[in-house]
Amino acid sequence: MMRSLLKVVIFLVAVFFLSSCSNKGYPPIQEDRSIAATVNIKDKSLSFIDLDKMEKMLDWEMDKPYTGAIIFPDGDTILLYGKQVETVDLYSLKRGQKIDSWKTGKGIVNGKLLQVGSEIALVDQDLNKIRFFNLEGEELWKVSTELNPLTILEAEKEKKLFVLSFNKEQLTVIDLVKKEKMAGYPIHPSAAGAWLNEEKGEIWIGGHGTGAEIERDIHVYDSISGNFKRKIPAPSMPINFIGNHNHVFVLSHGTSKLYQLDEDGNVLGSIVVGANPFEMLLVDNQLIIAGYDSNDLHIVDSENLKIIKTISVGNGPFQIVVRER
Amino acid sequence: MTFNMDSIAKKLWLTITAAIVVTIIYSYFLSYLFYEKLYVENVEENLLEEGHRLAAEYEGGPLTDELKDRIDWYSSKSETEIFIVSNPRELSACLPFDIDYETLISGTEREKLLKGKPVQKIGYEERFDRKIMAVVIPLLDENRLEGIIYLYIPLAKISEVMTDFAYLWMIAGILFLVIAIFTGTMLVRKLTKPLIDMKDAAEKVSLGDYSVKITNDSMDEIGQLAQAFNHMASSIQKEDERKKEFLANVSHELRTPISYIKGYSDALHTGIIKEEDQSKYLSLIHREAGRMERLVGDLLDLSKLDSNEFKIEKTPLPLGQLIEDSVQKYILKMREKEIEFNYEVDPDIIINGDAGRIEQVLQNILDNSIRYTDKGRITLKMFKTYSGCSIEITDTGVGIPAEDMDKIKQRFFRVNRARTRKDGGTGLGLAIAEKLISLHGGTLNIDSQLGKGTMVQINLPVLDI
Repeated sequence: MMRSLLKVVIFLVAVFFLSSCSNKGYPPIQEDRSIAATVNIKDKSLSFIDLDKMEKMLDWEMDKPYTGAIIFPDGDTILLYGKQVETVDLYSLKRGQKIDSWKTGKGIVNGKLLQVGSEIALVDQDLNKIRFFNLEGEELWKVSTELNPLTILEAEKEKKLFVLSFNKEQLTVIDLVKKEKMAGYPIHPSAAGAWLNEEKGEIWIGGHGTGAEIERDIHVYDSISGNFKRKIPAPSMPINFIGNHNHVFVLSHGTSKLYQLDEDGNVLGSIVVGANPFEMLLVDNQLIIAGYDSNDLHIVDSENLKIIKTISVGNGPFQIVVRER
Repeated sequence: MTFNMDSIAKKLWLTITAAIVVTIIYSYFLSYLFYEKLYVENVEENLLEEGHRLAAEYEGGPLTDELKDRIDWYSSKSETEIFIVSNPRELSACLPFDIDYETLISGTEREKLLKGKPVQKIGYEERFDRKIMAVVIPLLDENRLEGIIYLYIPLAKISEVMTDFAYLWMIAGILFLVIAIFTGTMLVRKLTKPLIDMKDAAEKVSLGDYSVKITNDSMDEIGQLAQAFNHMASSIQKEDERKKEFLANVSHELRTPISYIKGYSDALHTGIIKEEDQSKYLSLIHREAGRMERLVGDLLDLSKLDSNEFKIEKTPLPLGQLIEDSVQKYILKMREKEIEFNYEVDPDIIINGDAGRIEQVLQNILDNSIRYTDKGRITLKMFKTYSGCSIEITDTGVGIPAEDMDKIKQRFFRVNRARTRKDGGTGLGLAIAEKLISLHGGTLNIDSQLGKGTMVQINLPVLDI
């Protein structure tokens, strides 16, 4: 009697665990739509926005604390990572299901699909390394960096990868062809966010500031020698940059400000957008900006800096990825 | 106040004291809690109000230096420490980047502030390196947290008030304790004094002093106990007196025949009595010995009756016949005393009784009647009554004084104590008769008028055939 009861209990427990482990189905995303997806930290969700209609399609409630995503060149596979997540998980958008899982270990804080060699660079803060994977999930090579790497920036022409470390005042440069670390140079502390002007050979680097001090300026260095050139005021906490047709858009999360600068650093225009925005993307001359505190997405006309539309998303949008059709 | 270890006074005193102490301590903590809660709540409310008033000065947009100066000025005038913060780093704006910096506001607090709600905290704050009570008011421009107003007071200030309160309480508590213990002691003394009195009285009684009386006017249980004790003591005293009197009576009754016997036998022995008188003296000795025999026999009967060892053997008995047989031996004696005797009996009455004992009762009563009647009349009637039968023996003798009526059945009681014992009564007759009748389930009543006569009535149950 007891033994059969035990069997039933074990069976039920097994069913419970297996069912909770099984691939959870999510509402599918139509293949033909141009979408933006936000990774929302506070409520562990993904919000999908139809870029043509400029409205939210749906949310995926995730069961792991993902902090970022990459959409593969196939336009269907979305890769999700998080510092506290043991694996990097791949989902199919059209099927709404998990399709693969890469055992990377915890500590992945950033990722980028590189133009050079169609590789994925993952930033690992536990190992303090940049790890390069092919699209099948095989780790191809890796390079050690300074403590707590965070921002990575690809120089497409020079085929280099710039790595900013949060805690070390040292920039790491990786040769993507030779697959090795090159000589880096010292930069300002708590650097975050960067833009590379390959024509002028300049790298613009932002940051949060150290201690109670707020970073108010963009620091401009020579991208080759690392010599400090000048500071461009962009208060406060400039942490996101997008270059477009001789303009640079700078997002300062401390004041929730979007600046439009020329390449010399002159302010052409600025607006207040969202609350505490961290993330910005440029799609078809439209800037998409996520307000981390305001839980919304702003679509801004990059010509006149007018907010075209504000769309509510999940809580704490921290990263945006885009698929264009 | 000294106690022995087992005294009820000590137990009571300890109980009362413990109850008082527990009550004081309990009420102290309770009121401390309430006081603290109320005071802390009040302080918190004031901080909130103050904060909201200051926040009303903010009109949106980035915080201006003017506003900061005004808040600083206010802070310098106010007892509360107040400062305004616009630094996003202090407000955890960079939180998702895992910034290695101890911010003023935590992530969860920021979430609350973003919703427009103030944050209250109480406890140790590392930033100020002390315990504080703080209220944080958000300054929101739409949904942007542009800054906060941080108001706090050190908890030490609150504890100071609490300490003052505690001292006051302690003094009041000790004062109350002293008064309460003093009154408690008085109360315990008042409560236990009758008990101690009773104990002393009981000791006196056990030493033979039955005259002790406890004076307690209260009507409570202890008062009732004191009354019961007094009653018991007087009962014991009466019983003791009765015992002494009984012993005195017995020795007195025995001494008379013994002194006769001793005197006459001495005279015979020494030969001072003439030979022709010797037989007269011998018969006197014989008579006194017979009297002693009767006395001892009666005493033995009474003792058996008292100790319930007396056995009566009941048989169905025609009462009329028994009475007729019994009275025959008195006819002659009555004639000698010129007493007119009439009797009238119902011959059909049958009782369940011991013939010998019923006869003994009749003898005792008739002996008394004849003894106290001279030239008069004795009447005996036996008839059926509602509940059985009744024997009435009426004489026209000397009667009994009213004041002696309730003692008449007592042992050795004689109405006239100076009376000679020439006719040989032992003074135990009525006592024995009453006991025997009660053993037959009946009653014995005496009714008498001084100088007119006495009527003894015996009621017995009859046997229904």
